[in-house]
Amino acid sequence: MESGARVRNHSIIWVLVAAAFVFPLFLFSQATPHSNSVKSGTIAIAPDFSGVWFIDEYRRNILPKEDPPFQPWAEAKFKELQSEKLHRDPDNGPDPTERCIPPGIPRTMLQPFPWEIVQAHDRVIMIFEYQSLIRQIFTDGRGHPKDLEPTYMGNSIGRFERDSLVIDTIGFNDKTWLDPMGLPHSDALHVVEHLHRVDHDTLVDDYTIDDPKAYTKSWTAQKVFKLKPDWQIQEYVCTENNNVK
Amino acid sequence: MKSRLAIAFFLTVSAAAVSRPLLAHHSSSSYDMEHPVNLKGVVSNMEWTNPHVFIYLDVKDENGNAEQWRVEGNSPNMLVRAGWKKEMIKAGDQLVVNGAPAKNGSKVMRLISLTLANGQKFDGQGFK
Repeated sequence: MESGARVRNHSIIWVLVAAAFVFPLFLFSQATPHSNSVKSGTIAIAPDFSGVWFIDEYRRNILPKEDPPFQPWAEAKFKELQSEKLHRDPDNGPDPTERCIPPGIPRTMLQPFPWEIVQAHDRVIMIFEYQSLIRQIFTDGRGHPKDLEPTYMGNSIGRFERDSLVIDTIGFNDKTWLDPMGLPHSDALHVVEHLHRVDHDTLVDDYTIDDPKAYTKSWTAQKVFKLKPDWQIQEYVCTENNNVK
Repeated sequence: MKSRLAIAFFLTVSAAAVSRPLLAHHSSSSYDMEHPVNLKGVVSNMEWTNPHVFIYLDVKDENGNAEQWRVEGNSPNMLVRAGWKKEMIKAGDQLVVNGAPAKNGSKVMRLISLTLANGQKFDGQGFK
């Protein structure tokens, strides 16, 4: 009888010891799909950027004060475009978006149209009113796919770092401009963003533009977005009336 | 000063010969945003469409000759956010528009603001 009770006590102790080891693993395995929100076995709460956002001050140039460090061909292309614009017929302009071409990243975020952030367990989704585009930023720890085919919006992965979402985007084609002024880029474009809230109504995105084919070194730009709690993303059909007779 | 600028502008306006369908989604880069002008005219038509709203305005030049201007506003969504309603502009209405004329001198303008006959003023870009 006494020995039976001792065995039972030992069993309970072993179960508790096993549970002490297994329970954190269980927690970790539950969190594995959201590995960005897990650090050293503790669960960090990802910042919530949900809401409709709108560029605070619309400008045509992403760098209002200076030119980025152009490679010679990129500078020549940009300067030629600026002089051409002076004589351009508005009905035959050079801007790709006039043909309903997606503006790419970062320009889609800088257009004077709102966009919404929706957060899922494995991705952050940006729904852009402009051209009804979407951008998916995968936050489940995956890398960029190998052998990416170039696209207008690129391939985005992200991770949460304290109060920021760090977004890494590659896989672009070279058919878009970086800003409405026409800063060129190549298919080597790599955009890194640090998206963070400075107050409840203000989101800041710090962009690092790295494109060794078009620029001699990487450069940075910062844009501010304001929360629009009363706005909803609306339909936008670029091709509806894109021809006048 | 404004009226003198407008007269000088009218004198330099040349008719654009148009022979094929043209893009109706215009970047503001083709417009002289630094030198906006005012036009007063009568609406002949309005297209409440994406990507941009168009108002066709019959404007008399200083010699009394009527010219049609195409005035391009932002998308319907953005204009509604700025307080517009589709029904507020109809053919026959008198309007005053302030906008950026085309750099190449054609009779098209990017709308900055608009004043209805009753004096109500509306932003034409929807993001100010």
